[in-house]
Amino acid sequence: MTPTVLVVGELQGGHLASGSLEAIGVARSWSGATVVGVVTGGGSRAAAEEFGRFGVAEAYALDDPRLDSAPAAARVAALKHAAEVSGASVLLAAGTTFGRELVGRMAVAWEAAAATGVTELTMEPGGVRVRRPVFGGRATETLRLEGPRATIALRPHAFALPAEAPVPCSVREIGPAELPPAERTAQRTGVTVAPAGSGPGLTDASIVVSGGRGVRAPENFRLVEELAAALGAAVGASRAVTDAGWRPTSFQVGQTGRAVSPQLYIAVGISGAIQHIVGMISSRVIVAINSDASAPIFRVADYGIVGDLFQIVPALTAEVRRARGL
Amino acid sequence: MEIVVCVKPVPDAETRLRPAPEGTTLDPEAVKFVLSGYDESAVEQALLLKESVPGSKVHVVAFGPAPRTEEVLRAAVALGCDQATWVDAGAERWADPIRAARALAPVLGGLPHDLILCGKQAGDDEGGLVAAALGELLSLPDFGAVVDLRWDPGSSRFRFQRAVETGQESWTAPAPCVVGLQQAWNDPRTAKLPAILKSRKATIARVAAAPRSASSPTVVPERFELPPPRTGAKMIDYRTPEEAAQKLVRILREEAKVFP
Amino acid sequence: MPDFSLTAEQESLRDLARKFARTEMAPHAAECDRSGRFPEEIYRKAYDLGLMNLNVPTEFGGSGLGVVDQCLIVEELAYACAGMTTSVIANCLALEPILLGATPEQKDRLLRPFCAQYQLASFCLTEPSGGSDAGGLKTRARRDGDHYVLDGEKCFITNAPHAALYTVFATVDPTLRHRGITAFVVPRSAEGVLPGKDEEKMGHRASSTGTVRFEGVRVPAADRLGGDGEGFALALRTLDQTRTPIGALATGIAQAALDLAAGYSLKRQTFGKAISEHQAIQIKLANMAQAVHAARLLTWHAAWTIDRGGKGTLESSIAKCFASDAALHVADEAIQTFGGYGYMKDYPVEKLLRDAKLTQIYEGANEIQRTVIARELLEHYA
Repeated sequence: MTPTVLVVGELQGGHLASGSLEAIGVARSWSGATVVGVVTGGGSRAAAEEFGRFGVAEAYALDDPRLDSAPAAARVAALKHAAEVSGASVLLAAGTTFGRELVGRMAVAWEAAAATGVTELTMEPGGVRVRRPVFGGRATETLRLEGPRATIALRPHAFALPAEAPVPCSVREIGPAELPPAERTAQRTGVTVAPAGSGPGLTDASIVVSGGRGVRAPENFRLVEELAAALGAAVGASRAVTDAGWRPTSFQVGQTGRAVSPQLYIAVGISGAIQHIVGMISSRVIVAINSDASAPIFRVADYGIVGDLFQIVPALTAEVRRARGL
Repeated sequence: MEIVVCVKPVPDAETRLRPAPEGTTLDPEAVKFVLSGYDESAVEQALLLKESVPGSKVHVVAFGPAPRTEEVLRAAVALGCDQATWVDAGAERWADPIRAARALAPVLGGLPHDLILCGKQAGDDEGGLVAAALGELLSLPDFGAVVDLRWDPGSSRFRFQRAVETGQESWTAPAPCVVGLQQAWNDPRTAKLPAILKSRKATIARVAAAPRSASSPTVVPERFELPPPRTGAKMIDYRTPEEAAQKLVRILREEAKVFP
Repeated sequence: MPDFSLTAEQESLRDLARKFARTEMAPHAAECDRSGRFPEEIYRKAYDLGLMNLNVPTEFGGSGLGVVDQCLIVEELAYACAGMTTSVIANCLALEPILLGATPEQKDRLLRPFCAQYQLASFCLTEPSGGSDAGGLKTRARRDGDHYVLDGEKCFITNAPHAALYTVFATVDPTLRHRGITAFVVPRSAEGVLPGKDEEKMGHRASSTGTVRFEGVRVPAADRLGGDGEGFALALRTLDQTRTPIGALATGIAQAALDLAAGYSLKRQTFGKAISEHQAIQIKLANMAQAVHAARLLTWHAAWTIDRGGKGTLESSIAKCFASDAALHVADEAIQTFGGYGYMKDYPVEKLLRDAKLTQIYEGANEIQRTVIARELLEHYA
């Protein structure tokens, strides 16, 4: 029996968010699985067609703008309906704030085994096997989600975006949602979009670019920030930089600063003093750029470039922009 | 206001992690169990709300085995929680977040609650599902990744910000609701010595956790592993900076699979 | 046999001290050492958390801890900064004579208001003419009706420039030597109390040390502890209680030195490998570890003896003497492990040697400790 995977679409600016696309990619990579999409909230009807762009032939849409200001709980009935009608056995969502709320509620409402922050998953007879980082990335656990149903949130940015593979998508509308009167329920009253370039917070970011004393002067730190912006990354700094006052202490990564465990950590002009290392050692991939081939950072990095950062970093920023189509 | 805070005993951040002999979970031998940073923020938030609404009480609840769960509850009492309840997991040494929520929900349902506060995620497994699962089990709305939680007596509603990927959302919600609190945006207090000594004598109510239902779906831990030790960087050869950049981007994309 | 494991309560106390030490004290240790600044804001935080007045019973507003519990806390604080620890625990030393020698009325009147807010106190025994020779002290206490008039000078007094209260040992009759010594509690506000300036010290520079002159200070007889001539015995009993935590303080310094040396030895490479793989360093580290371990256990044993009601003179003298000598030696070897870097003030290890040195001198110089040990020991053979 081919399993059916229900991918939860989250909307950003009227389109499927990149995390949802990653989830589509994961679902489609399971050979033999049927993939179905579901999207809820204002603009869902139009956005649901985007599932088709990535090879998903069937999608459910609950186009009800009231849901955008209502708690995630209001979408559960619709998701459960879509899951039951489609015969899904796995619900897959991006590991966003929204996605995790839905995965948690659906685990109860739909009676499913749940996991979040998943970086690898395989369908097995009788369930799904997942791998996920724990303890801030210092260890990994493998879990078996047993039973007929599983709800899973993926770790952000852990999967590639799928290639476009357009197929016609048959969109079925569900709803309307049953909502209690506004005054008896929680309401979203406003949205603040983080200004472009301000980047994710340091401790939650999937990618961090940090600069050290090697940048030589505070005005050069912008090279680090430009690379971070190109990658959509958070910006960090070594203690030398924050002690010198080039950047506030909130930027400091290290024993007396913050500990980070992103998917990717790029250390620019950082020698690798132990007190910095302990703050970033659990990053999944570490890249070091330093002019000194014997700098200790190269002992803990996965990839290294020995060279002049004033040449390497701008070239890298340009290449990243080009590769990301920015 | 009756505030309930759910906390979990997790290994101290400086613990040396080691797989247990059978390799499926962390070895709890010589592990110090504490309140995580998220839970400290949740307790702090509960205490701040208590202080802002006279006559309020904070009841701290935790699901887990002996002796770590009781110890962590005493730590919360030392911070200022008025009452504590231990949902005894008995011989269960490992539980996924949904199992924890199912054990907590009937106990929470029996306590007066205008607000149920959790840390955004557990300090060890970082599941982040308990608040949502509790919300569904108790038929209450839940909100994850909350910062800046306040009670507005004028409108009799909670006001808070919810951190999302693109920025922040402002929300209001009536009591009761379930909130998963973001870490350390408030500055958790440190328990004072006299309170620590007093907490040793505090009464901790104990309730046996409802056993797992045989029909409920289960999550089974299969392996707990540490990453292989790092052996040194693969150095990238290049003739021009552009070449170095291209090689690195290709490696990050294809080999490391970590390119955005 | 004693159980060496800590109770959950003891672990909580130790964790509180460790957290305070690492987050509040350690970040400022180097700066205060360099400048000699007295970090009042840190001492206030220690007071707020209940880390001061550890020995004073809770009914008077102290933390009411036994010596073992005090040692657990003191070691953690000293690990971060010995100087700050000296000032934090100086209150314990100053207040102990009141705990041991005061009437219930005096305790209530003197301790309760003192502990109710952040204040510092100083134990005033040492004088320019004698520290170890306390029996020969010269500060005079002349009876005048229902008052005594104090005249004299004390020196090397911890917290003196900042204290609100002084426990002062003075003699009613110098010809009687130690049998004339009498103890008094004197507020700073009394006329004629003249604290001197902060001395510039080799180590413990975050702590404040200075002279106090008493010029015609009128002290009510009601503020005398015990009777005339009972002060010397009171001082000795006080030191029996407060000596052991100094062993813990020295252990904290030694542990910090060992940790720095061991950590460094794993990173520093010479002759193609980490220096921790060179036998010369391994032997050093092994000797250092033995010294730290022994210092801690001797201290715990002395503390346990006293908590069980024992006098503990022999045990606490051994602990203080051994631990302070160990701290000096371990700090010295830690500097040696760091080599040239160890000599640089940029690195935290040379401070530890300067801090360790004082532990051999104060609270009973180690020479005196050894004569005490010998005397206690020989009694068994008499």
